Amino acid sequence: MTNRLLFRGLFSKGLARTLMGQALAFAIALALGAIIILLIDESPVAVFLTLMRGAFGDTEKIAGTLLQTTPILICGIAACIALRGGMFNVGIEGQLFLGGFAAAWVGFAFSLPPVLHVLAAMTLAVVAGALWVAIPAFFRVRFGTDEVVSTILANYIATLLTSYLTIFLFKRPGGWSETPPILPSAYLPELFSFSRLNIGLLIGLALAVGVAAFFRWTSAGYAVTMVGSAPKFAEYGGVNVRRVGFGVLLVSGAVGGLAGGVETLGVHHRFMEGFAPGFGFDGLIAALLANGSPIGTIFTALFFGALRAGSLLLEVDTTASREIITVIQALIILAVSADLMMRRRGDRTGERRWKF
Amino acid sequence: MEILSNLFNVALLVATIRTTTPILLVALGGSFTTKAGIFNIGLEGQMLIAAFFAVVGSIYTGSSLGGMVIGVFAALVFALIYAVLVVSFRANEVVVGLALNILAGGITVSLLKAIFGTRGSVVGRGIVGLPKVQIPGARDLLGPSTAQLISGYTPLVYVAFLAVPLLIIFYNRTRLGLYIRVVGEKPEAAEALGISIVWIRYAASLLCGLFAGLAGAHMSLGYITMFTENMSSGRGFMAVAILIFSGGDPLKVLAGCLLFGFADAFSLRLQTFGFPSYLVLAVPYAVALVALFALSWRARPKRIRETVETIRRALSVHRSGEADRDAPLPRS
Repeated sequence: MTNRLLFRGLFSKGLARTLMGQALAFAIALALGAIIILLIDESPVAVFLTLMRGAFGDTEKIAGTLLQTTPILICGIAACIALRGGMFNVGIEGQLFLGGFAAAWVGFAFSLPPVLHVLAAMTLAVVAGALWVAIPAFFRVRFGTDEVVSTILANYIATLLTSYLTIFLFKRPGGWSETPPILPSAYLPELFSFSRLNIGLLIGLALAVGVAAFFRWTSAGYAVTMVGSAPKFAEYGGVNVRRVGFGVLLVSGAVGGLAGGVETLGVHHRFMEGFAPGFGFDGLIAALLANGSPIGTIFTALFFGALRAGSLLLEVDTTASREIITVIQALIILAVSADLMMRRRGDRTGERRWKF
Repeated sequence: MEILSNLFNVALLVATIRTTTPILLVALGGSFTTKAGIFNIGLEGQMLIAAFFAVVGSIYTGSSLGGMVIGVFAALVFALIYAVLVVSFRANEVVVGLALNILAGGITVSLLKAIFGTRGSVVGRGIVGLPKVQIPGARDLLGPSTAQLISGYTPLVYVAFLAVPLLIIFYNRTRLGLYIRVVGEKPEAAEALGISIVWIRYAASLLCGLFAGLAGAHMSLGYITMFTENMSSGRGFMAVAILIFSGGDPLKVLAGCLLFGFADAFSLRLQTFGFPSYLVLAVPYAVALVALFALSWRARPKRIRETVETIRRALSVHRSGEADRDAPLPRS
């Protein structure tokens, strides 16, 4: 939804209808999820209660939820940036992995003064993410190569590449498939003593507010939104559509790399093979669920983070697999996409264009 | 030289044909939706869910055919959901496709735990693999090493390769094939002709599900009889890449699939030579990516030609207009 439409939507019955539809979609998705949980011989109520307990049971659990929320939120912001510019960056997962590895490498291979070390590691993570998306982005804007497929394929290569680097070149002697630990000078400061929750969450929140403000109040942000929603109008208005498209993907990739950096420097303090499975995809669907709104993504990311944190307890207390939450997430996206998201413009012959 | 002859031999060709089969099946399935004007990114999920249910089905029915049928049925259910959301509800096809892929991953892992009580993979347990077809007389006629090029594959290998000419005939000679193409290329014309765009797209989607289901069944019941988490490992996305640069044309699809099948087989071969497995595993994806970029780059001269053409036309119109205007001036 463009800002203008969002603005109008806030003060009309459009918002009520949107929220109603969204609630209906949620209800349908949860009902379907309950059926699937019944099919695998578990009680939906027990699963729901376990999820809630696992996510918000006590202070530590809440901190755990926020810990899971952080990478989803940052990846979600990365997805929002691309979506607003009319791009589908499905490669956030790959950018996350490369960013994570790059940050870890700076963390263990160099010794620098405390703050500088974190900044250097983060910078390299951001650069790695941006570089990884640069090639698909270039071909997207120059030759129209579909960015969805190219970034998905790049994900597989990024994951295998980081595994290769970790296991064949930088493996910790005697360890599992992980790099040596980073130096304490590169640790992100933790927020509480009882949790690994770190200032990454604040970085994510600041990013969300900043990106929202950028789209809301700057002319560049308006230009990006117009490139995403009405490229011809934007071009007529003198916007260089290609350059904006390239920039949007590059920034999105940079934020994806940042997410990886936050995850290694803040949580694991090393790079491990498969250290952040699915955060990139979770971020993308959180952004889709929020209709490409950075502020909305804070809440959807929190929701997905709670599901993830709760699912850890699910594996302990019930016979259900923790992957049941990805089923619920997918069902929600499907239900929501059926009606309200990205309503298609065009006649019955089906001119395709997604809208926000 | 010895290394080269070890790398390239009949066994490599046979391996190529084997690895090409699932990706060829799923890409041919995708050709229906591509021709019908739907960008189907959900192939991966349809394949994965079929692979899982083929394993489940073969255990419960005790036959590989039963497994295949149940696997295909599961893929058809996914294809139907996709069609309902994309065609009827007009949802965004990328979003729906990605969500269905995630759903397939989640459901298979959840059911794996619920049914078999394991994580990761299921092997043995009475899974019945597809039989191997020995073409009678091939061994006597061609000798043992050449015979394995055409004989001894699972039935789905033959189905996949025979489907290529059949699909060419389907698109050029049958009513449904023509309708699918019209709906994809000129939906307005299809509507003017009274062809139901919705039903044709449903038909294309379900045909796609059928082929994706066969591909999935071949993955889990073909040469290895097991199901592993995420065992489709991006083949559905490679198929989408092929579909993008082939436009769903069966022959070009075959060419692209052979390229990836070869990359797959070749990378497996490299692994036995002690190359780091992680880099080797990345080879097929890299090939897909490079092919995608290279072919979109090759498509570029055409666009430039067209642009130059339009500019020239615009200029010539302009100039002739100028000439007309200029002409009277000297006279006056």
